[in-house]
Amino acid sequence: MSFLVRQISLTADGREIVRAATLPKPQLSLGRSAENDIHLPDLALEPDHARIEQVDERTIRVRATGTLGFDLEGRTVLRAEIDPAKGAELRFGGHRITVSRDEDGATILSIRRVDAVSEASEEKEETRVFSLRGLAPPKRLTAWGMALAILIGFLAIPIWSYASRPANDTRNIYTVVGDKAWSSGPLSQAHHALEGRCETCHQKAFVSVRDNACQTCHQDVHDHAPAVRITMARAEPGLGGRFLAGVASAFGKPPEGACVDCHREHEGAGPMQPAPQAFCTDCHGTLKDRLKDTKLGNAADFGTSHPQFSALVQTVPGKHPRFTRASLDAKPMDDSGLKFPHDIHLSATGGAARMARTMKAQYGFGDALACKDCHKPTADGVRFLPVEMERDCQMCHSLAFETIGGTVRTLRHGQPDQVIADLRAYYRSTGPAQPVALGAMARRRPGDYAQGQIYHAYFGAAAARPSRADDAIRAVFSKGGACYDCHTVAPPGANGNANWQVLPVHQPMRYMMNGWFDHAAHQTEKCESCHAAPKSHDARQLLLPDIDSCRTCHGGEKAKADVPSGCAMCHSYHIGDGAPRTPADRSARRDQADRPRKTGPEI
Amino acid sequence: MATRAAPTRRTKGPNRAKDALHDGFLRHAGFRWLKIATLICVLAIASYMLVDVTPHHNGGSWYGYTMGTIGVLLILWLTLLGLRKRAMTRGRWSLKAWTSAHVYLGLSLIVIATLHTGFQLGWNVHTLAYALMMLVILSGLFGITVYATLPAALSNNRAEMTQVQMLDAVRAIDRQLHDAAQPLPHDKAALVRQSLEQDPFGGSLLNRLSGRYPRCATARAQAALRQWTGDQPDTGPNSSNHPLERIDALLERKQAMLARLRRHLKLKALLEIWLYVHVPATFALLAALSAHIVSVFFYW
Repeated sequence: MSFLVRQISLTADGREIVRAATLPKPQLSLGRSAENDIHLPDLALEPDHARIEQVDERTIRVRATGTLGFDLEGRTVLRAEIDPAKGAELRFGGHRITVSRDEDGATILSIRRVDAVSEASEEKEETRVFSLRGLAPPKRLTAWGMALAILIGFLAIPIWSYASRPANDTRNIYTVVGDKAWSSGPLSQAHHALEGRCETCHQKAFVSVRDNACQTCHQDVHDHAPAVRITMARAEPGLGGRFLAGVASAFGKPPEGACVDCHREHEGAGPMQPAPQAFCTDCHGTLKDRLKDTKLGNAADFGTSHPQFSALVQTVPGKHPRFTRASLDAKPMDDSGLKFPHDIHLSATGGAARMARTMKAQYGFGDALACKDCHKPTADGVRFLPVEMERDCQMCHSLAFETIGGTVRTLRHGQPDQVIADLRAYYRSTGPAQPVALGAMARRRPGDYAQGQIYHAYFGAAAARPSRADDAIRAVFSKGGACYDCHTVAPPGANGNANWQVLPVHQPMRYMMNGWFDHAAHQTEKCESCHAAPKSHDARQLLLPDIDSCRTCHGGEKAKADVPSGCAMCHSYHIGDGAPRTPADRSARRDQADRPRKTGPEI
Repeated sequence: MATRAAPTRRTKGPNRAKDALHDGFLRHAGFRWLKIATLICVLAIASYMLVDVTPHHNGGSWYGYTMGTIGVLLILWLTLLGLRKRAMTRGRWSLKAWTSAHVYLGLSLIVIATLHTGFQLGWNVHTLAYALMMLVILSGLFGITVYATLPAALSNNRAEMTQVQMLDAVRAIDRQLHDAAQPLPHDKAALVRQSLEQDPFGGSLLNRLSGRYPRCATARAQAALRQWTGDQPDTGPNSSNHPLERIDALLERKQAMLARLRRHLKLKALLEIWLYVHVPATFALLAALSAHIVSVFFYW
C-alpha cells in the first residue's frame, strides 16, 4: 500500500525533470501548505485541499477537505473513487495529476504543472501582444467587407434592378431599387413626382437624357428658331466649353441645344431656376457677327449691352390701321386716332382738377386727376385695359342732351349714325305734338291711317325746321363739339362718305411683343416715374420709358443693380403669348395674396 | 575669398545628401512636395473663383470633370503607396520621396475634391465617396501627427527597456507574488491570484487606446489587501510572519510596471490605430468611387 509520487517539471529548454518519491502511506494529504504530503505551490489550492486514500486493492478515493473541489476528467467534483488500473486524470488548480498503477500494484501519481504561475508568464508572441492585432477588427477583413458592401449596395443592386425591369411597364408602378442613392440632388418642385423614378428621364443606361424624354410630357413647346439658324447663331465655345463638348461627343452626348442644357435638374428642391443669361448670350451676345440677316441687335447683358426697346406703333389710324416696329430712340409717334392731352388732365390746377374735386365723393377722385382715375388694370395686373368712354371719361365728358322725367338722355358713344338720328329726332319731337298712336301696336279707328293725313301733318311740321337739327349735328361733330374734342371727324362728303364719320380708335394693350412687362411687379413705383404723362400734350406721344429708364433699377444678371435681371425675366425662349416662366415662389405669392388683407385694399 | 568658397562648395554636396538622408519624409527635399501641393491648391482655388460655371459649380461642368479626373487619378496614385512601400529604394524616386508626395498630395486632395463637389453634398453615393475620402485623409493626418509627436513619448516611457524586458519584469514580479502568497489563507490568496491571472495585454480596444483600465485586478487586489491590513501594525515587508506587507510592496511594484507597460501599449496603439481606419477606408473609397463614376454615367 504505497503511492509513488512523480513530480515532473520542465527545464527552460523544454526537457523534463522527474523527481519520484515513494510514500508508503495509506492516505496522502494534498494542498498548498508545505506540511502536506503532496505540496503544490498553487494559489488556486487551499492550504489543506484534499486527501488521497487507498480504499482497497483496486480503488483509491480522492476527496476534497474544503468546499473547493477538483476536476476529474474535466468535471468538478468533491470526491471520486478511482481504479488506478484504469487510470484517471485529476486537476488541482494549475496542476495535473495522472493516476496509474505500476506492476507492483503501487498507485502512481504523476504531477505536472500545466499552467504558468501567472497570465503574464504564459508564452507570448511579442509582435502580436504589443500590437493591436486581435484587438481591432482585422484591416483586410474590414477593407474587403466595406468595399464589397458598397459595390453590392450602390452598384450591383441598382444595375441588376435596372436590367431586370419590365420592358414596357405602361402602368409605371415598377421602380428601380437602390438608384435613389445615385441621385446627385433633389429634383425641382415641378418634377418632384418623378423623384425615385430615374428611368423616366434616364431612359437608357450610359445614354444621356434626350429631348424626347422631356417631350413625353412637354408636347407643345415651341422651338426657339429653326434648328439650322440656331446652329449658325451659336458662338464658338471657349476652351472649357470645347473641352466639355469634346468629352460630351466622345461619350455620345447630343450636341448643344438639348433641353437639359438650359433646364438643369438635380440642383435642389424648390422651383427650377430660370435659365442663366449665359445660355442666351452664347448666341445673342454677338449674334450679328454670325447671322448677318438678323433684325435683332446684339444683347449680352441688360445693364450694359442690350438694344433700345422697339415698340409696335400705329402710324396710320382708322379702320385699316397700319403698324410699324420702331426703336424708342427714334421717338416714334403712336397715333391711336384719339386726341388727348395728358397734361391738362393731370394738371393739379386746371379745370380738370377743379372738376375732379367736385366729384370726390362719387368717384373717389383726389384733388386732381390721377392715372388710375381713367386707366384700369387688367385682372392679372400685367397691363391696362383700353380706356372706355362710358366707364372712364363720361363722368366728366357728358354726352347728355335732355332730361325726361329725371332720366338723362345721352348720345350714343361709338355710333355716329345713331347720334345723328337721335339729334334729328330730338329737334323734331319738340315741334308739333306727336301723333298719339305712332306705334304699330296702337289701336286706331279704321280710316285714321289714311295716307297723307297724320304722317303728312307730322313730317310737315318737322320739315319746317330741319336746319336746327342739322346745326346741332354739325356743332357736335365740329370744333368745340362733343365728338370733335376727342376724335378725328370727317365731314360728310369726305372720303366719299355721305355722313359724318368718326375715325375708329385703336388702343393697344401691348407695345413690346417680344418682351414681357408686368405692371403688377412694379406696383411700388409711381406711374410718373416711368411714364412722362404729366408733360405730354399730344396723345400721339409714345409715353413708353426707354431702356435707360429701366436701367435705373435693372442691371444684368450678375450686376450690382437693385434688380439683377437675367434675360428670362422679360424674354421667353420658347416664345408664346404668356409671361416668361418664372420660378414659382410660393412664399412670395402668398405674401402678395395676403397684402390687401393686411393693409386694406389699394386705391 | 575664392579659395574659401571652393571647399565650402565641395563639402556642401555630401553634407546636403547626408542631411537629406536624415530628414523625415515630411521635410524631404526642403518641403518640395509641400510646395507643389500648395501650388496645386492655390491654382485649383483660383480657377474655381475665375471659372464661371452656370448655374453654379457642380461635378458635371467641364471644370467639375477636370477636377474629378485629377482627383481620381490622384486617389489611384495615392493608393499605390501600399504597393510601393514594399520596395524600398533611394534617390529621387525613393520611398521617402514617394511618402512625402503621398502625404502632401493627399492633403491637397481635400481642396481638389471639395471643389469638384461644388459644395453640393447630399445623402447619396457621391457624397459617400467624398466622406470616405475625407475619412481616409483625416485618418492619415492623424497618423502623421502621431508619427511626429509620439515616438519621443514612447522612448521616454520605455526608460531604455525593450518590450520583452518590460514583460519579463512583470513576470518576475508575478513569480515573487506567487511565492509570497503561498502561506496566505485561501481567500487572500485568491486576491493575489486575480492579479496573477489577469492578462496585462487584455482589455478592450478602448482600454488600450485610453490607457485606462478600471478593472485592473492588481489595483483591486491591493485595495482589498490594504483594507485588510489597514488596522494592523506595519511590521515591515521582511517580517516572516507578515507576508501581506511583502505582497503589498510587490503589488505596488507590479502596478508601477503595469502603468509603464500600459502607457507603452497606448502609445503603440495610437501609432497603429489610424491604419486600421486608413487602409479599410481606402478600399471602401475605391468601391464608392467606382459606384460614383459608374452611376454618374449610367444615369447620364
